Amino acid sequence: MTTLNVNVHYVTRVEGHGNIVVDVKNGEVKECRFEVVEAPRFFEAFVRGRPYHDINHIVSRICGICSVGHSTTSTRATEKALDVELSEQAWLLRKLNLHGEILDSHILHAYCLVAPDFFGVPSVIPLVETHREVVERALRLKKLAGDLCAMVSGRHTHPCALVVGGFTHTPTERELREMRERLIAARADMEATVDLFASLPWPQFERETEYVSLRRADEYAFIDGVIVTSDGFTYLIEDYKKVTNEYLVPFSTAKWTKHNRESYMVGALARFNNNYEQLHPKAKEAAAKLGMKPIVTNPFLNTAAQVVEMVHSLEDSIRIIEELLTRGVREEKPAPVTVRAGEGVGACEVPRGILFHHYVYDEKGICVEANCIIPTNQNLANLNADIRALVPQILDRPQEEVRLLLEMLVRAYDPCISCSTHFLTVEFV
Amino acid sequence: MSSVGERNRNCLVLGLGNPLRGDDGVGPRVVAELLRRRIPEGVEAVDGGIGGLDLLHLLEGRKRAIIVDAAELGRRPGEFVRFTPEEAHLVQSLASLSSHTAGLADALALARALGQTLPEIIIYGVQPERMDWGEGLSPAMEAALPQLVEEILGELRNGFGDSEAAP
Repeated sequence: MTTLNVNVHYVTRVEGHGNIVVDVKNGEVKECRFEVVEAPRFFEAFVRGRPYHDINHIVSRICGICSVGHSTTSTRATEKALDVELSEQAWLLRKLNLHGEILDSHILHAYCLVAPDFFGVPSVIPLVETHREVVERALRLKKLAGDLCAMVSGRHTHPCALVVGGFTHTPTERELREMRERLIAARADMEATVDLFASLPWPQFERETEYVSLRRADEYAFIDGVIVTSDGFTYLIEDYKKVTNEYLVPFSTAKWTKHNRESYMVGALARFNNNYEQLHPKAKEAAAKLGMKPIVTNPFLNTAAQVVEMVHSLEDSIRIIEELLTRGVREEKPAPVTVRAGEGVGACEVPRGILFHHYVYDEKGICVEANCIIPTNQNLANLNADIRALVPQILDRPQEEVRLLLEMLVRAYDPCISCSTHFLTVEFV
Repeated sequence: MSSVGERNRNCLVLGLGNPLRGDDGVGPRVVAELLRRRIPEGVEAVDGGIGGLDLLHLLEGRKRAIIVDAAELGRRPGEFVRFTPEEAHLVQSLASLSSHTAGLADALALARALGQTLPEIIIYGVQPERMDWGEGLSPAMEAALPQLVEEILGELRNGFGDSEAAP
């Protein structure tokens, strides 16, 4: 009879801290869960009482990795609340900026946080000795993604030029041409990336769940659209609470979410499953190389779906830049804002999944109510359901292997606990 | 919220931290204060947020870098210590000394493994009082700020930022 008694107090290579508790006695799973100790609900406190034009700059600081995602979602919520129309150029730049962040975050996650597990090393640093070209490629791609973000919104980590109504800065035609050349040149690195991840022995584990993402009629959705689920539901973004249904669980102060089943999944794999047809043809080719076709029900392949999205974001960035150049870029000011009372919900697909910001403004444009639901929180229930399903299947394996597989499962979700929470340790009781 | 000295970026002043987490915001705040003053030619002051591997790209091609970060030093809130990464390593790991040098330590280790030339680095670690969610520095940190900014400006004026001067 199997008794698992592993004690790991820190899972490395996730963006934050939390606990995995697995208690198995005599082959019976007594306890098995992923828990998060959340920081006090701080979001509303930061933005309540602040004028509409300050808010996206404040929320961009919540997360150093998803600052463009928070900023874009926040401005969309405010733009809807105050009825601000974006110019076509501003729309293209918003999409380009978010592609940059998707690329940056996915490269970091796939190469630096996930790949070391497959090479049997504790971090990306020892990889330099054995797989130098892999590390150099990751850093080249990451720099390119960061430069793309900086070209559009001024700086990568805190997009200062991204404001309500558009942008305070427009990239020059020359900058766009140079970036286009660099993105085209990066295709070779992207192909090598697909080949690398297609060669990895992904853990075998299937558990179907409900996949939730945005969808647009015209393209693979990252900004706006409607909320769809793989169980066949469609909602307006304004009705996001019908999907998230937040609730509290006894062992975690983080709020969990559920919709049609006990849990749902958001992120690259959910987007891939729901919107596969709208991926760029090269991204579909990458998916074929990775052996993926919807519906993919192995959560470990969330990272592989990120690789597919990297290809899509690279190709769509090239397309957007070409469109901007064809149209002719012009210096333009952000769309004017008429201050008034209003309410708006913004939704974007950020690297880890669907993100909601919801604001209510008074007649002076001061925020009086705010809500934010991050992807990591939406995935917590699903990650727990995966852990409960996976543990009984791997009980006969050596303890260290069980531990590694569970850590890899947590990492596959790319959880960014630091967004909403500040402490994660992994613990097998 | 911006950077200066684009043409000559030999020296970097990098403020690390999250202004939404109390005294953790000291790094970005120092950068904001520097940008409000006249800083020497050839110095770029950057608010690096919470850092990470992107620090590698920020440090690339620099001759010198001053990094300002909240650091657990076991001292009174607002007290600051100037040290080099090498000195810090003698005592304890960088990661435990300062709140974002885990990213910095990783970035430096990666750079060394790749054989990249690193700039001369000076770290100003500042003892925080509180680092929970909430905007604004504690009174102790506010009180220490002018002296910290003056010391960094002095360091820059005395040649740390001048690419031609001897280090």
